[in-house]
Amino acid sequence: MEEKNLTEKASLELISQMITSSRRKLEDGNGISFLIWGYTTFAISLAVYYFINATGDYHYNYLWFLTPVIGYIGMAVSKRDKTKHAGHAMNFIERTIGNIWMVIGIAAFLTSVGASFVRFPILSVMLLLLGIGTTITGLTIKFKPVIISGFIGMLSCAVPFFMKGYEQILVFGFICLIMMVIPGHILNYQGRKRHV
Amino acid sequence: MFKELNPLLHSELRLGIMSILISVEEADFVYIREKTGATAGNISVQIEKLSEAGYIEISKGFLGKRTRTVCKITQKGVNAFEEYVEALKSYLDIKGR
Repeated sequence: MEEKNLTEKASLELISQMITSSRRKLEDGNGISFLIWGYTTFAISLAVYYFINATGDYHYNYLWFLTPVIGYIGMAVSKRDKTKHAGHAMNFIERTIGNIWMVIGIAAFLTSVGASFVRFPILSVMLLLLGIGTTITGLTIKFKPVIISGFIGMLSCAVPFFMKGYEQILVFGFICLIMMVIPGHILNYQGRKRHV
Repeated sequence: MFKELNPLLHSELRLGIMSILISVEEADFVYIREKTGATAGNISVQIEKLSEAGYIEISKGFLGKRTRTVCKITQKGVNAFEEYVEALKSYLDIKGR
């Protein structure tokens, strides 16, 4: 693009092209966020289950608090790399999704802290929170696989109620894998297909 | 009757920059360069002109050790862009709402 005058028709075409291109670019960024949080939660679930099973020490539940640490570091690195190469633009949808997950993150953290003092079905609450966040994200970006997986997450919050013992940690991890990792890969695949 | 086209917006690069900024809340310099395919020097000159006209706001920050320039369209810029599109319609005989 240069510093030159355009015909009226070319001006309209340019406006349309730039707006469409910016919109697509912003939709493409959501897959990696689901993958980072989905894989992190799954890996921590496996670690917690393994250590508690091996030692019988429930203090290994504190490993859950590594989830936000690893997740936010992953998000920061991913954003920095993407911004360095392709730049960054923020639109209303991206900011809204960011705010939704910030509130859900705070709620999840406070609930986890509460669970350190009072016994309640924390994994069910977490699945409900993550399911709500995933569903709202899917509805906002109008992407069916994310909406469906979010609803699956919300519905499956009942599963830990019917389970006894630490196996529910494993089930929680696998539900997160289904709810976040699968739609994350589908989003990325769609994004790559658009750029081909 | 034909409306006058805003000369500040009736240039390929400046219109490209404004079209990007109208569709996002803010965009950084690298993003604009990637989208427009223009040289960094040319973009710097054009965003300075748009900023002087009050159409965009420029803020500088840091990303790691590198400086990061972020551009955001102002209400004055939005109004000018809308007027420009309306003027274009009069040339192309597109009926408004």
